[in-house]
Amino acid sequence: MAQILLIEPDAVLAKAYMQAFEHEGHATRLTVSAQDGVFKVDEQIPDVVIVELQLVAHSGIEFLYELRSYAEWQYVPVVIHSCIPPAEFMDSMKLLRDRLGVTVYLYKPQTSLRMLLRAVKEAIAVPALQAS
Amino acid sequence: MQNDDFSGQKLQWLHSEQLFLSLAEQMKLPLMQILKQAELGSLLDRTNEHLSQVGVNADVALKLIDGYLLSMRLAAEETYNVEQEPVSLSSVLYDAAHQLHPIAKLYGVNLELSLGGKYGPVTAHREGLQSALVSLGYALIEALPASDAPQMRLELAAHRCRYGIVAGLYADVDRLTAEALRQGKHLLGDTRQPLPGLSHSGGAGVFVADAILNAIGAKLKVSHHNRRSGLGTVLQSNPQMQLI
Repeated sequence: MAQILLIEPDAVLAKAYMQAFEHEGHATRLTVSAQDGVFKVDEQIPDVVIVELQLVAHSGIEFLYELRSYAEWQYVPVVIHSCIPPAEFMDSMKLLRDRLGVTVYLYKPQTSLRMLLRAVKEAIAVPALQAS
Repeated sequence: MQNDDFSGQKLQWLHSEQLFLSLAEQMKLPLMQILKQAELGSLLDRTNEHLSQVGVNADVALKLIDGYLLSMRLAAEETYNVEQEPVSLSSVLYDAAHQLHPIAKLYGVNLELSLGGKYGPVTAHREGLQSALVSLGYALIEALPASDAPQMRLELAAHRCRYGIVAGLYADVDRLTAEALRQGKHLLGDTRQPLPGLSHSGGAGVFVADAILNAIGAKLKVSHHNRRSGLGTVLQSNPQMQLI
């Protein structure tokens, strides 16, 4: 079982994702904003963060910069799950991966629930391997 | 003169293309919701509740597309005068609320219908006015739960102002200003999120409503009612009907 922090602005999609995570035995905390996402990480460090980039007010990228600015949150796995096609980030993929520590970038319209669940499983497994 | 006509047509064409792009971007969201709920249904082996949600989402997608097509059709009819008629505002608001109810329920937004005061018939294009209010409603219902401080009440209301009677939708959204709306219209088609202070998505419902209202000779305005901000349009009482 993993502690998931889901930053998802759409209430209907969020409900579907949370039910799927719950079905897999994960505990999920939900937030709709980047700012609250930082507060939630501060309350309890999650095993994985799933973040949409297109949010109201502060973007998901701003959240990632904030997250990685704290030493104790450097290795929290992050899955980007966004409506923005990854092609628009081709030039920035290196930055997302190396500097902002993004584990995987999933394009929401083409990512099934099963693919998302698999990505969560893999994201949690990677830091465990690093630690060992 | 001919040159001016051509420029005007070109501008209109560019604008409609931008609106369509915005709409297409927006369509991704309800379609994704349909997909996820259907997937979830199969994942959990529960179908009924999720399938009813599928229907609601599909309805939203269809109505937004329909609103867009209506705005285009009405704009094309502009030269022949869009037929204005005496319209019962309370009946339009009631019907709009009825259409918005399922999606409001799905999002957990408490939709209130407020018809304080007596309003006689107003002069409007009924279908256009109702479609504009429904499109606006979709945009606001979807945006409210995603805001920093979720205010889950949306008021569909009519009230008097010094220019006439305002019909609109109101919520506790402090970032909804006339400047934000003006900028949003300016950014339409150039950015994925033209109303960043209001909506996490394309906010196409606002622009579809704006296009419909323009086509029927009305304007979309930021308006205030009961200490809440909202979007609405000013309508005029129908003097002919008042004489009867």
